[in-house]
Amino acid sequence: MFSFFKKKNSAKTAKDRLTIAIVSDRENTNAFPFMDEMKAEIIEVVKKYIGVKAINIQKEVDGDVEALSIDVELETTK
Amino acid sequence: MGIVIAVISGKGGVGKTTSTANVGLGIALKNKKCVVVDFDIGQRNLDMILGLENRVVYDMVQVMDGEVSLKQALIKSKMSPNLHFLAASQTKDKSILDSQKILKLVTDLKAEYDFVILDAPAGIESGYEHTIEFADRALVIVNPEVSSIRDADRAIGILDSKSQKVKDGGEVLKYLIINRINPRMVQSGEMLSSEDILDILNIPLIGKIPEDQGIIDASNQGKPVVLDSNSPSGRAYKRVAARLCGEEVALENIESPEKGFMQKMKGIFQ
Repeated sequence: MFSFFKKKNSAKTAKDRLTIAIVSDRENTNAFPFMDEMKAEIIEVVKKYIGVKAINIQKEVDGDVEALSIDVELETTK
Repeated sequence: MGIVIAVISGKGGVGKTTSTANVGLGIALKNKKCVVVDFDIGQRNLDMILGLENRVVYDMVQVMDGEVSLKQALIKSKMSPNLHFLAASQTKDKSILDSQKILKLVTDLKAEYDFVILDAPAGIESGYEHTIEFADRALVIVNPEVSSIRDADRAIGILDSKSQKVKDGGEVLKYLIINRINPRMVQSGEMLSSEDILDILNIPLIGKIPEDQGIIDASNQGKPVVLDSNSPSGRAYKRVAARLCGEEVALENIESPEKGFMQKMKGIFQ
């Protein structure tokens, strides 16, 4: 009802958009400084049994559940 | 032994170099020994802002490579005998930087000065990582604008995972400077307020710098605004310097939080 006095409030829009963008940025960054070491160790373990080409680790967040998804690409055996 | 402060922003063009010059000179005017180092290899600019571009003979890369001594490369400011400046290399590129050499340079400077202020390059690449590597504290410069704040958050994230202090189990203290605040726009809800920005970034605020056309004039002349007691941004930088020196200076309310009817009435009669 005070809309007459209400100026455009794009700062509010900016804050809302930023809050969401930053939360998703923080989730997507390698939040672990130890990520590279962990990758190297996992490769070593798997390598004992089977040839590994590359490994990709991603943090996934779904609501309250956080998970690490680990993709291990195997060496092609021909 | 002095403290090392990295001046960072993520995004370029938000006033990082201007802030480095003004905070550094402000500290020197408080009778503390201060050295400012331009870490923006290949894009030297701090020399211009400080009015010292004609005095640069040697740069920090030459010091790190042992070609010249620190003493030969340090330039004394014309504005305060307590302020020295070390120039970035203009010809080499960022890949020249090496952690061990930076550690030696920073350690040598810490032994001589109360404050060692490092002006980081924009972005979050290797040049940035090297600047924050041995920092004790960081000054984070933002503008009240979405891309600047988002990029600053990324830069803080890297600082919190890659600095030596964090790797050793410590913490790099971070302080926020909000630069180019337009009070009228904040009042009318068209610009993020400092409260909004603090909610998002969640680090302590050490300075609010109003938008000031005098900044351009100051950089034209190579005389930082902190020297001008009539300049609103100059006074704000002076307060930041005092806070960094440990003085308790209340944060001035340059934005006026009231958005009520009276404020609008006041606006009409101004």
